[in-house]
Parts: sequence; structure tokens; C-alpha cells
Amino acid sequence: MTQPLLSIDDLHKSYGSEEVLEGVGLEMDQGDVTVLIGPSGSGKSTLLRCVNRLTEINSGRIALDGQDVTGADTDVNELRKQVGMVFQDFNLFAHLTALENVTLGPKKVLGMDAADAEAAGRNHLEQVGLLEQADSYPAELSGGQKQRVGIARALAMDPELVLFDEPTSALDPELVGEVVEVMRDLADEGITMLVVSHEMDFARSAASDIVFLDDGEIVEHGPPEQLFQNPTADRTEQFLSRLHAHEETA
Amino acid sequence: MSTAESTTSPNPGLRDRVGTVFTVRPLTVGLALFWVWVLARWTTDFVLAGVSGFDRGTPFIPAAPFLTTADAVASLATPLGVAGAPLVWFADTLRFAADATAYLPALAHGIWTTVLLTVFSVCLGFALALPLSVVRVYGGRWARWFALSYTELIRGTPLLAQLFVLYFATSLTQVLRGVPGVGVGFVPAQAFWVAVISFTLNSAAYQSEYLRASLESVDGGQLTAARAIGLSKLEGIRYVVVPQGLRLALPSWTNELVYLIKYSSLASFITVQELYGRTSTIANETYQYTELFVLVAILYLALVVSASALMDRVESHTATAGVGHTRQ
Ligand SMILES: Nc1ncnc2c1ncn2[C@@H]1O[C@H](COP(=O)(O)OP(=O)(O)OP(=O)(O)O)[C@@H](O)[C@H]1O
Ligand SMILES: [Mg+2]
Repeated sequence: MTQPLLSIDDLHKSYGSEEVLEGVGLEMDQGDVTVLIGPSGSGKSTLLRCVNRLTEINSGRIALDGQDVTGADTDVNELRKQVGMVFQDFNLFAHLTALENVTLGPKKVLGMDAADAEAAGRNHLEQVGLLEQADSYPAELSGGQKQRVGIARALAMDPELVLFDEPTSALDPELVGEVVEVMRDLADEGITMLVVSHEMDFARSAASDIVFLDDGEIVEHGPPEQLFQNPTADRTEQFLSRLHAHEETA
Repeated sequence: MSTAESTTSPNPGLRDRVGTVFTVRPLTVGLALFWVWVLARWTTDFVLAGVSGFDRGTPFIPAAPFLTTADAVASLATPLGVAGAPLVWFADTLRFAADATAYLPALAHGIWTTVLLTVFSVCLGFALALPLSVVRVYGGRWARWFALSYTELIRGTPLLAQLFVLYFATSLTQVLRGVPGVGVGFVPAQAFWVAVISFTLNSAAYQSEYLRASLESVDGGQLTAARAIGLSKLEGIRYVVVPQGLRLALPSWTNELVYLIKYSSLASFITVQELYGRTSTIANETYQYTELFVLVAILYLALVVSASALMDRVESHTATAGVGHTRQ
């Protein structure tokens, strides 16, 4: 049996007295695309942020490639080189061009020289279809373009795992497609992705696993066909029917 | 950029209005003439003085022609009675010009000291303000408390009092006098440096307050994103937050520069012969208070407008779409 790329075990996280994650366990192999769904406030963002330690956990174990993530002596910056993150609100660096956004990490964190970082950065922008916008500032880009820069910025670090926190939910509906398409390409290329998203299109076509999180617990998980067609838990069924109703009205 | 665009720019309250009129042609010409004169004065008096044929402080334009013309105009006015008032006024203006040519060389020397004082103070003040503001926003509890106390102490007390405390109540003057080189040749004497230190400490507090507000207005998600690509918090602040904060702080920074040009006149209270100090020394000797203070007001205005115009250039040069308020 090979070692999973990411393994989360009995993860607990509280904010004050409010327990947000109540013993979450999850495993991902290299190349897996796991889509995390669940109602608002169920702890999806918190779970992602624990993986790259933007949030400190209370107890449990997270290992990346067999290496302990949450240990006191783990170098967080070293960890974050290996785990990319894409944000709902893009969080692009406003004073840098698209290309500079993508090359900042390679230059300052990986110590690449400027020319190499730029060449690689252009490749990553090309990968998300934005080579022509390399010299544009974030304010000059559409939402979909911004998010694609955000994805290129994460890829530029050549991470082992990329976390996506609702990458399309701040986008106008007509811009969702271009981002989903890029993400599907990445999935096809074998990038390991842990994605919080309610974009059913993407989940059905690209996910290897769907995980349903509710009230800080993983209620159910399985391949998309199984989870979407024959959910075993009532809670999952209710959530999915609400989601479908919402999708139809949208 | 044109004046039309400047006046239609959004949020005019943020900008120093003086700066935006820079592009009006007569003013540009006036400023250019002013600086040509200032630089010529400095060159003759500081660099060429002593070389044969150059006398330190000799006016470029003699006063005599102004005076003779003034007398001629005045004599024309006398038979006209009340109707000659415009001519009398013209004659007075010519006399003022004659006085000005005599005083201007000394005042140019004062401008040198004022510029030096302002530039040193604003730059050193910035060097202190940047870490202070970062501590204010990102520091631990005690560091934040310290930075806040410093800022409030400085901003809550008069600059003149701070200057006097440093000059009279500490041994700073003695210490500075002992520093080799102070007061020798081009290096100003100790009182100047006491003023630099005092203005630096003062300006640091104000600048840190402007910077703090600007740093806080940079959306926090960007620092999170910086952390997420593996930059340390300090690196994230340095590469992501501070560059934007500096850009956002430019308009208030311009104001600080303008204030300091004028407030540096307080240094005259501790014997520094900067622009105001020189003016009042001459005025006390000649009793030509009105002429001299009108003259010095014009010179301060020229300095202030120059500073605003310069900062306007810096602002449009560093303008970035989406960072702060930008003019099209
Ligand atoms: N920094 C924080 N401090 C205190 N409480 C927090 C913090 N972050 C999240 N929470 C709380 O933790 C719970 C889970 O939040 P989380 O953002 O993980 O949910 P989510 O599943 O991502 O929801 P959404 O779909 O709305 O993004 C919420 O009740 C939220 O109020
Ligand atoms: Mg969330």
C-alpha cells in the first residue's frame, strides 16, 4: 500500500467555545481531485486553512507526504511551498502585474532568478490562457481573469497539492465557465486538488471523490456518481436536493 | 495631465490644491526662474566664492537702476495729485524690487538651510516612521503600545516645546559640538543638527500615523495570500503591504513635506539661520519688516509649490491601476 499524499486524522478545531471541526478524517492520493461540499458555516474553509496552517488546529494529525504538518517544529513556509491556495476573493497583489503576481513567490521564496521566474511565469499564465494579460494589473482584469491569475500564482510554486476555497463563487455566472475549464485541465494533468465548490459541473466531471461536510463532521464521502445518485445519509440527500433546487432557479 | 483634469479629479480633499496648479504655464515659468536663480546663487556663493572675480553675496542685479527709475516715476506722479496714485504705487514697487535685490543673496543662503533642514528631517523621519507604522499595525501588544505612546506624545505636544527641550534641557548641543566636523566648512553647526533631530522625531510620529492608516487600508487578504505562497509575515508586509501603503500615503506625505518646509522656520528660535531666521535678523537691523516678510512669504510659497509639484510628479509616476486614487 502506498502512502497517501495527504492524510488528515481526527482533526479538531474550535474558535473559542465553538467547535468548528469535530474529528475530521480525510485521505488523498497523488492526482486525486477531492471536492468538499457542505452548508455555509460547516467548516469547509477552516479545514482547508488547517492544511496549510493559516489556521492552527487544536488536536488531530495532518500529514503531507508522510511529513507531519502541524508539529511545532514544522517550518510553515516550507510547508506552504508545497501547498498552493486559491481564494474566493482572488487576493491578488494589487500593485503587481499578472506576471509579477505569479513570479513573486518563485523569486522571493524559491530563490529563482528573475529571468527564470519570468519564463516559468509566462508558461503558467499561458496554461491559464492569460499570456496576453501578463502586464495588466489586477484592477484591469475581469473576475474570471483574476481568478485564473490566482490559479497561475499557486501553480508557479510547483506545489504537490492545491487548495481551492470556493474559487468561482465571487464570479458573475458567465465567468464561472472559464475558471472551471482551467481547473478541469489541471485535474486532467494530474494536479492533486482539494476543492471547496458547489459547482456541480466541475464536481461531476473532474472529481475523484466528493466529501460532504456538515456541522464539522464528514457525513459521507464517495465517488461523484455514487454520492450524487445514491446518497446514504439523509442529511446528504437534503443538502443535495436544496443544491439542485438552487441550481435550477439560478 | 492638464488643469482641467486635475480639477475634475475625484476626492480633491485628499490632495494639496497648491500642487495641482503646477501646470498653469506662468507658474511653471516662475518656478523655473526661481530655481535657476536659487541654483545660480548657491553656485556663486558656495562654490565659486573665493575664485577671483566672484564676490560672495553680490546681487546679480544692481539696485541702483530700480531706485533711479522709482524716483523718476515718483516725480512724474507728484504734479498729478490723487490721479497719480497708480504711479506712486508703481514707484513703491520698484523700491521694493531694489530692496529685494539687496536682500535676496542672504535669503538664498537661508533657503539652502531650510531645504537641507526639511530634506534631512523628512527623510530621516520616514526611516523611523516606516518601522513605527508597521509595529502599530502588526506588532505585538507591547510594541504597539510603545509605538502608540510615542506617536501620541509627539503629536500631543507643541513642536516648539520639543525643540526647546532638546536644545536647552538636554546636553545634546554639547554632545553635537564635540562631534568632529560639525560647523566646519559646509557642515552646519550644532543648532542645525538639534533642529534636524527634533523635526525628525516629530515628523516620524506624523508620518507613521499617515502610513499606519495606509497600511491598514490594504486589504488583509493579500497578506494571507502572501503567507500562503510561503512568504514569512515580514516578507509579506515588505513585498505586498508596504509598497501599496506607501503609494496610498503619498498625498498625506506631500502635506507633511509642505508643513515641514514651513515649520522648519521654528529652528530660528534656536539660532539656526534658515530662511525665516535670516529674514528676521535682517529685518531687526533694517526695520524693513513689511518688505522682508512679503519677500519671505513669496519665497516660502515658491518652495511649497515646488514641493507639491514634485510630489505630483512622483504620484503620477507611481500611479498604479487599482492602488489608491489615480487620475486618468
Ligand atoms: N477566525 C475565526 N474566528 C472565529 N470564528 C470563525 C473564524 N473563522 C471561521 N469561524 C467560524 O467557524 C465556522 C466555520 O467557518 P468556515 O468559514 O470554515 O465555514 P465554511 O464551511 O467555509 O462556510 P462558507 O460556505 O460560508 O464559506 C463558522 O461558524 C464561522 O463563524
Ligand atoms: Mg468558506
